[in-house]
Order: sequence, then C-alpha cells, then structure tokens
Amino acid sequence: MSRKWLSIALLLVISLSLLLFGCGTDQAGDDRKPDGAKGGGQQPVEMIRLAGGDWGYPSPYAHYPRGPGIFKMGLIFDGLLERDEKGLIPWLAEKYEIKEGGKQYLFTIRDGVKWQDGKPLTAGDVKFTFEYASKHPMVSSYIGAEDIEKVEVVGDRQVLITVSEPNAAMLYNLGLTRIIPKHIWENVDNPKEFTKPEAVIGTGPYRLTDYNKEHGTYRFEAFEDFWGPGQRVKVIEFVPVSEEILAFEKGEIDLAGVTPDVLPRFQNDPQYKIVVNPGFWGYRLLFNMGEYPALRQRELRQAIASAIDAKELIEKVARGAAVPGSAGILPPDHVMYNPDVRQYDLDLKKAEELLVKLGYDRLDQNGIRQNQSGEKLSFNMLVGEEVRLAEVLKEQLAKAGIEIKVQSVDMKTRDARVRNNEYQLAIIGHGGWGNDPDYLRERFAGRSRGGLSPSASGLRGYNNDELNNLLEKQRLEMDDQKRKQLIFKIQEILAEDVPEIPLYYTTGYNVFRPAKYDGWMFMFDHHSLTHSKLSYLERG
Amino acid sequence: MEYLFTIWVLVTLNFFLPRAMPGDPFLYLSADEGQEVARFSEEQRQYYLEYYGLDRPVAGQYLSYLADLLRGDLGYSLYYNEPVSAIILRRLPWTTFLVMAAVLLSTVSGTILGSLSAWYREKLLDKLLFFHLILLSEVPAFLLGLVLLFTFAAGLGLFPLSGAITHFASYSSWWEKLLDILHHAFLPVMALTIARLGGMYLLSRNSMTTVLEKDYLRTAWAKGLPQKRIIFRHALRNALLPIVTRVFLSLGSLVGGAILVENVFAYPGLGHLMREAVMVHDYPLVQGIFLVVTICVLLANFLADLVYRKLDPRIGDYSGIRGG
Repeated sequence: MSRKWLSIALLLVISLSLLLFGCGTDQAGDDRKPDGAKGGGQQPVEMIRLAGGDWGYPSPYAHYPRGPGIFKMGLIFDGLLERDEKGLIPWLAEKYEIKEGGKQYLFTIRDGVKWQDGKPLTAGDVKFTFEYASKHPMVSSYIGAEDIEKVEVVGDRQVLITVSEPNAAMLYNLGLTRIIPKHIWENVDNPKEFTKPEAVIGTGPYRLTDYNKEHGTYRFEAFEDFWGPGQRVKVIEFVPVSEEILAFEKGEIDLAGVTPDVLPRFQNDPQYKIVVNPGFWGYRLLFNMGEYPALRQRELRQAIASAIDAKELIEKVARGAAVPGSAGILPPDHVMYNPDVRQYDLDLKKAEELLVKLGYDRLDQNGIRQNQSGEKLSFNMLVGEEVRLAEVLKEQLAKAGIEIKVQSVDMKTRDARVRNNEYQLAIIGHGGWGNDPDYLRERFAGRSRGGLSPSASGLRGYNNDELNNLLEKQRLEMDDQKRKQLIFKIQEILAEDVPEIPLYYTTGYNVFRPAKYDGWMFMFDHHSLTHSKLSYLERG
Repeated sequence: MEYLFTIWVLVTLNFFLPRAMPGDPFLYLSADEGQEVARFSEEQRQYYLEYYGLDRPVAGQYLSYLADLLRGDLGYSLYYNEPVSAIILRRLPWTTFLVMAAVLLSTVSGTILGSLSAWYREKLLDKLLFFHLILLSEVPAFLLGLVLLFTFAAGLGLFPLSGAITHFASYSSWWEKLLDILHHAFLPVMALTIARLGGMYLLSRNSMTTVLEKDYLRTAWAKGLPQKRIIFRHALRNALLPIVTRVFLSLGSLVGGAILVENVFAYPGLGHLMREAVMVHDYPLVQGIFLVVTICVLLANFLADLVYRKLDPRIGDYSGIRGG
C-alpha cells in the first residue's frame, strides 16, 4: 500500500525533474559570445540588446509619457536639431537663424532626406508638423497651442517660424519637436488612436520592425537610406528583463544600471566599463509660502538649509550615488551652473543664530523651538515614497529644534496636494534638471503665467522683483554668453533667498562591456546613456 | 436577475472608486527615482481632459460609460493608448495559464500529499511532510520566485531569466513553440504552486483525517470492500468537497494572485498591468480589469455550484425536494 503511494510521488518527482533537464539542454547553445576584438575606432556591431518593457507604440502620439517611451520614438523620428555632449547641433535643419530678437526662426531644411517609406522630406512637412503639433500636442511636447503665431515655407528649403513671444528656450523647443510626414498624418484626427504601421514612419536612423505590447519587446533596424551619420549598431532589440544585473551578467542585455551595492562586482575588471550618470534627477524640499506666512521668512528657510546635512542624506539614502543640491538650483552638471553661489553646508550654530534672530529663542520640553507667543517650529512634511529621506531629514532638523511630522501618501495624491497648495513642506523628485534654465522662471517667477509642471500653480507667497526682472531678461536674451551671465546672477539670488531646497541630484552608475559596444554618450542635459540618439551612431 | 444587480453595483463602484482618488491621469509633478516623465503643460492637461471627456460632469461620464458597456465597449486606455478590451484580451490568457497551471498542480499534489499524511497520521512520513510543507507555505510567492530565479535560471542556467517566450524567435513547428512557452512558464508556475501547496496540503490532510474517522468508512471496511474502492469512492470523494470549494474561491483572486510572481519574472500578465493602471489613474483600464475580475469571480461561483452538484449528490437531492 504505502509502496504504491510512494511510487506515485516518486514518479511525479522524476517526471518533473525530467522536464527540468529536458528543457535545460534545449537552451544550452544559447550563450552568445561577445563579438569582435576590443579596439579603438568605431567598429559597427550587428546587434545590441537592452532592457525592454512596454513603453507604448513609438509614434509621437502613442508612446507612454516616460523617458524610455520618448527615446524609442526618438530613434524613428528626427527633430530639426539634436543634442550632443555640449549642446544643440544641426540635424534635419542644416542651419538656423534667429531673427527679430527671438520673434522669428529661420530653419534651412537639409536636402535629400527621405522618409522611411521612400518619400522625400519637404519644408511642407516641417510646416505641417508645427501646425499639427500646436493643435494636437505630442506626448513629449515642447510647444503649446499658443506658442507659435505662424509657420511659413520660404523658397523650397526654408521654414520661417514666428513665435508669439520671444523666448530663449524656444530654439530648444522648436528644435526638438519631432517632425512627422504630412502625407501620413494630414487626415488623422485622433492621433492618439492612430497606431497603424504608417504611424511609425519617420526620417530617423532606425525603423521599427517588431513591437509586442504584452511582452514588452521592440526591435529596431538601421534605416538604409538614413541621411545622417552611419548607424554603428545595425539592430537594437529591447527585451524584458526580470533582474537587470542578472540579465547583464548572463549577456542577455548589453548595458545595465547598477546600484552602488553591487558595484564591486564590476569594478577592477577590464571586461566592464562603469560610467557615472550626470546628476540631472533631483529631490526638492518645497515650502508652501502662500499659505504659511512663517515660511515666508527668508532666515527661517536659510536656517533649515543650514540644518540639513546633504552628505549624510546621500550616504544614508542614496547609498552615495548622488551629488549635494546647489542652493542656486541648477545642478553642477548643468551647462550654466554657477559654482560660486552661496552654499549651505551643515552649520547648526548658524541655524540657531538665525532662528534666535527670528525670535524662536526658547525650547519647549521636547526641544522644539518656539517664540515668545508660543508659536512652535513644527511642520508637516508631505512625501510620497521618499519616507527614508524624510525620516533622516526629520532627525537632522530636530537637532536645530525644528519638528517635522512626516506624512506619506501615494505619489499621485502628493502631486495633487502640492499642486493645490495643500501642504506645509513637501518633497518631490523628478528629472529634467539639465534642461534649458528657463525652468527657473517657471518655478520662481511670482507672476508666472502657469507654464510647465512641476510648478503649474506658480509659486505663491514669494516675490523678488530683482529676480523677476532677471528671469524676464534671460528669457529675451538670445546671446548665449550674455544669457549665461544673467543665469549666473539668478542663481546667486536664489541661493540667498532659498525659495526651495534642492536636496540632492541622483547620479547612479551604468555598466557595459566595451568589447561588445562602446559608443555610449550622454546628451548635455540628460542622465541616460541609452536615451541619446548619438549613442548608436558613428561620430565625426 | 440577482447576478445582474450584483454586476450593476460592482460596475458602479468600479466607476466611482478610481475617480475618488486624488489627482488625475495627466497630473505629473514627480517621477519615480531616476525616471523621466514627459512634461505636461497646464494647457496640454486641459487638452487631454477634454479629449477623453474627463472635463464633463461625472454623472454624464457615468451614463456614457454604462451605454458603452452595454454595447460591449470597454473604452480606450488613457495611458496605454489602446482599446481596453484588446489590452486585457492579450494578457488575460497568460495570467490564466499561469494561475490555472499552478492551481491544478498545487491541488493535485497537495491532495495527494495531504491524503498520504492523513493515511500515515502521526507516523514519520506525516511528520516530515507536515513540517516541510508548513515551512514552505510560510514563504511568500515572490521570495520563492526570486530564489528559484537565482538558483535555476541565473545559477544553473536551466531556465530563462524572464518573459513568457523567446523573443524574436521563429518556430519550425507549433510544439516547438509550446515547449518554449512551457520552458518559460516553469519557474513562475513552480513558485505559485509551491506557495499554494502548503495550504492545499493542510486542507486535504484535515479533510481526509476527518473523513477517515467517520462511521461510514468503518462500515465500508467492515463490508470488506477493496481498499482502492474505500480510498477513492468513499474517503477521497467526501474529502474533496472542501478542497473544491477552496479551489473555486481562489479562482476569483486569479488576477491579483499572480502579480508578484509576474513582477519577479517579467511575465506578461494582467496582475502587473492592474497595478500600473491604478498607479497612473488610467480609469477605463482600471474599470475594465476590475470588470473582468468581477466576471471571473461570478463565473467561478457558478461553476462551483455546478461541480458541487456533480460531486455531492445530496445537494442536488435537496434542491430537487425543494423544487418539487
């Protein structure tokens, strides 16, 4: 009896293990070897694989509003300009001219550019794109409905764009708008629902040959008639990975983001190359100065800045992979970063002095500072998933007699409450810190006309006329060097005023095998190697 | 009629609950660490709200949602830019496959092991099984998944690291493709199976123990029936009832149950999708997924009724008496 049961169980185990090993041998030959010898020059590679996942159909309207979706679309679609390590470079436009003090832009369209369906790119396509994109904003949109006054075709190769008002950031915005073919899109009324094969025909270096939404795979192939620099990578495949580092070690993908904890696995091994990201992704500590007059006191904000030990935050929360926030807001990797602005290193004595000066000169039984009328320095801090960060901050500020009550909600709730000014202090984190410094105007001009997130509501309760004037002036300044001086001055004022505190900018590491492919580069304003179009192309 | 009312209540809840969450689908102030989110200007946000009709009064939205639903239209996903029905239909089979396989395996092996244990109650085999299976059942499925992933996929290289299928592969025959799918599904299914095994084992062990002590079994022994007949016709059939209940109840949690394992293995199921949809406030998709889950639960209840009748003649008899 018992033998019978046992044999059934045994049979089960044996058949399972058979299945296990039977499957194992099946894939034994799958180990791909890194091809080619290591060496200089720009050898082309047949294929690289990167971590995939579904980021939407890569048309300018259907991809998801996330970085990995944006750049995949960018492999297929070109802008008039492109970004290299230093700044904007001519791309579909071979040259451009800024006229009338920034009111007009004259782009000369490159000759001999073909769409991936064989038709030639015309100035008409460019005109169409800007008109269409004003009506139907692209997912990753740089221009709004009101930004462009009119677009005219001049001769057969030039496009003259008249903008509503001059803005130094406009060149970037116009230049990076992806040009779409008129002959395909002119009859499309619901661009977000247009996901036919024609929707992914661009002029870019890569064609989409395969996309599977539920598996999260993409396959891009070099477009033979691409007008520009040769593609060093012939085929790019995106495959889903469970564990990025495991997949990289097994050779399933050719580049991986590495957390500081596993970094030692790849260090001191010539097989691997490790690259540190520029810090263009940062956490901000926001003050709700509109609703809470106490926070309008500059000395209080300065005291808080002096009580924060960014180095400890980075050590404990970011595991060392970050750079401390600059009081001037722009991160050190930004092309217009001012290294000489006032910084607030940890200085509890200084913090105390400032707080005493404001009248918070006594401590209650819990060590919380208060003033004569018994008003305590106690604030709620609204955070999303950044609980660790908030807890360390709480401890740091407690040493200066400032009490923090951490309130953690989900991300969307936090965003909604920040937007509606329903908070005292809040932490939010996002990318884009390398972008055109006009974002300083959107964040800090008291009379901002709304503008782009993350400062959609404008900054209430804070107004500095000198700053406002400078922010307005830099917007109108089309000369890069002169503008840089204005931006430097703006950073100085911001560092004195402390309208918000950038806590730190995350950096993070990438690892790849140079023998397999080494063309990776960072765009001047971006923190991801894989997101740069030039990472896949031959460089002159 | 009852079912219709239940569905209406659930549909209504599905509609209003997601909309009660703060924030809207096009509000992005922040991003996950290291993630980049496309900039949405205020203007653009208004455009999208209008585009999807989210600026209309909620009552109007609700009515047109009901009207669309009656026509079988689940709506258009705000985030994934695709009809909701298409998204769900392409993912549901994967999750169903994963969960069904796990339910089947864990039920069969759990029942067998549980019966064994009950048969050899208090003997060494029982003690061994009991100890180890209880231990295993306390390990969460995703942790188990990770362990399996690290040992069998990363360490020994016997299985693929992720996904449901070899990507960009062309197959020479259907069975080759099937083999590939099974190969990919093996570890996720194992993780889910092992995680469920403990519960199933305990249930069947208890159930079997109770049945074995019943008078009618003693009668069966006394009648000198063959052992096979006693075990299968008299003991197991009665012991199966609670197990069947458990299986059908767990079918309801079909989608939710697989989320963590799907995440670990980057498996293209519905669970992961549901989480994403809630995170980005993709109302139509959230509604669609919940509706499908609702229907699954109701269907499972219905099936449970049917199977019960087959398995336990008493139920059929009672209703027959009541009906007559």
